[in-house]
Amino acid sequence: MSERMNIVTREENSPELTRQGVVIAPLVDIFENDEEILLFADLPGVNQENLSVNLENNSLTIAGSRKLETRNQAVFEEFGDAEYRRVFSMPQGLDTETVKAELKDGVLRLHLPKSEALKPRQIEVKAG
Amino acid sequence: MLTRWDDVDRMFQAMDVFRNRMNRLFTDFDRGLGLMPDQAAIAGWPRTNLYDAGDHLEVRVELPGITVQDLNVKVLGNSLEISGERKSLTPEGYSVHRLERGEAGFSRRFTLPVEVQADQVEAILQNGILSLRLPKAESARPRKIEIKTE
Repeated sequence: MSERMNIVTREENSPELTRQGVVIAPLVDIFENDEEILLFADLPGVNQENLSVNLENNSLTIAGSRKLETRNQAVFEEFGDAEYRRVFSMPQGLDTETVKAELKDGVLRLHLPKSEALKPRQIEVKAG
Repeated sequence: MLTRWDDVDRMFQAMDVFRNRMNRLFTDFDRGLGLMPDQAAIAGWPRTNLYDAGDHLEVRVELPGITVQDLNVKVLGNSLEISGERKSLTPEGYSVHRLERGEAGFSRRFTLPVEVQADQVEAILQNGILSLRLPKAESARPRKIEIKTE
């Protein structure tokens, strides 16, 4: 499988369900340049304490949960408490030490810098 | 005869594979529109909750990635309109692997069950969720009825 496919393929086999509740796969945008892979994920209602980002064995897991605190009677309800979870396969050679994550306005912004080995290199061609 | 049944089985297997592929294709198509498979059935975006709390109404709206500057909330009588625009976060000089979140403008209008006091509406935007507190108009508030004995 090509590297590109590796990044975008969503893990299909879901593990055994140990918790009840709605699990939502957050919508994401993924970009890449020579320096890094950049990922945005929509996580409305999730705060910093309830969010975990885990990069292990080239698998990136974004997991979070939200609780809507309301005791009032619902006239209509289109969303509720939820658990967010999505797993991505990442290429080898990401610099795990310098991963940066920010959560703002319900959107997670994740910078995954490439290590030197993964960056493209300009090869100088010498005339013989 | 046995071999023939094998052929039939194999044919059905091939059809199953085809059907799975088709299903996945449609799911991907929905995703491309920014709709999750389970969300696709729900008309209207952003998703909204409305609660009745006796003397006021409470509205919650899912608005990830929207800042206060990009959001408009209008209240008139018993109509509520939420509109805004999600600015693109697409950085320059990056190649795109996946675009699911979308960046379109949106507008949604609701007819509230009762009239509200438009000048006393409170709105808070936090963690991508907009919370509105809409005090009911005096005439719409629940009133305690005094019961007299004769």
